[in-house]
Amino acid sequence: MDLTHRLELFPDCSVTLLLFNHVKNAAALRKKAMEGSIEGALINPAMIVDPFQILVAANKAVHLHKIGKMKTRTLYAEIIFNLSPNNNISDAFKKFGISDSDEAVLIVVVVDREKTVNLEEIRSQVEGQQVSLDELPQLTDIVKVKKMYKVTPQEEKIGTLVDSIVCRMSTKDVL
Amino acid sequence: MAAAEAQANAVCSGMAGAGPAAIGDGTAGPAMAGAGPAAEAEAEASGPEVAEAPPPPLPGLQLLQQGAEALVYRGLFLGRPAVAKLRIPKRYRHPALEERLSRRRTAQEARSLLRCRRAGIPAPVVYFVDYVTNSVYLEDIADSVTVQDHINSVQRSGNDTSSLLVLGEKMGELLAKMHDEDLIHGDLTTSNILMRPPMEKLDLVLIDFGLSFVSGLPEDKGVDLYVLEKAFLSTHPDTEMMFKALLKSYAAASKKSGPVIKKLDEVRLRGRKRSMVG
Repeated sequence: MDLTHRLELFPDCSVTLLLFNHVKNAAALRKKAMEGSIEGALINPAMIVDPFQILVAANKAVHLHKIGKMKTRTLYAEIIFNLSPNNNISDAFKKFGISDSDEAVLIVVVVDREKTVNLEEIRSQVEGQQVSLDELPQLTDIVKVKKMYKVTPQEEKIGTLVDSIVCRMSTKDVL
Repeated sequence: MAAAEAQANAVCSGMAGAGPAAIGDGTAGPAMAGAGPAAEAEAEASGPEVAEAPPPPLPGLQLLQQGAEALVYRGLFLGRPAVAKLRIPKRYRHPALEERLSRRRTAQEARSLLRCRRAGIPAPVVYFVDYVTNSVYLEDIADSVTVQDHINSVQRSGNDTSSLLVLGEKMGELLAKMHDEDLIHGDLTTSNILMRPPMEKLDLVLIDFGLSFVSGLPEDKGVDLYVLEKAFLSTHPDTEMMFKALLKSYAAASKKSGPVIKKLDEVRLRGRKRSMVG
């Protein structure tokens, strides 16, 4: 059900994605996330087109964390920030983080070799049903995504939507 | 005097020692993740330059080629076939200059690739940019062939070369689009344009934007084309007609082509062994 990928550039780190639907306690979860009592990034699945998008954000976050150059204060905040096509942190949280009325939540956990993270603990805090990442496309709001990332019609002809998104994510700090 | 000599030697070895500091981390990473097929002909050649130590592989990637500017690796990145370009530090440069130049070129490349994509010009997707090692992780255009290799194989096989004229036209269209976006490639050669299979589709992809920049000047665009022309004619004999077709299609496809072609003619009159008589 979970999707885990080991980061090629940081072999000690692996990223796990958990997707939940029919979530009842989004507000409580959001609060916990803000306090820092959940070891994971809580993301709005409507803005995610493909797990690759998350992996790119996580990879960049881990990289910046290791060299001490993150723009936000925690690794998980950084992952959410990296998803945004612009450099406004609070806007990133608003658009890519979860809101109180959300019924679906995507949780991203980064596991380091020294730390052990208990996925069961995270699962138990969510009042909802965990579903496979294969269901992600059903939860994606493609129109909203295209608008957020300002994907041009010419662009859609030369690649997939994930391609356009990832390109913006990875080059936003040089623009 | 012996002392002075010894001093000089010490200084020299000191400099050699302070070579490229951080090219990847030297940890014995996981074995190559069943990376992309080493089908490229260049795979055999990765013979290191005489004076340089063989480049250490980045974890999990295999060395594809060593260019003048960068080492190119191929492998999987976050599960996708990718190409990693790692800029080679030039030790003859002053370190401050080296750092700045490397970073600028890396940034320019990333920026230009994004500009291309936004305008619908086929170029590899940027997956990750590392400003510490000045390396870029890009989409690997699977099973692609450079235009250079394609032209060579068509010419060698003696097949009908009229298909090359059509290829030239397609190239002209692509470059027109790029220049209309005021994007100058800076290093246009036939090995910097890839063809995606199947070859008949003429699906072209531009790569290697390390020397690119943004400019609206016809002079810069003209020079861009001139560089390509020179590369063309020196690498591929008997391709004058093909380049002519390229220029014709460029002129037709680009809205601002008039002044550019004019500049191209002017630039041709400059350069080596050219009479500077007005």
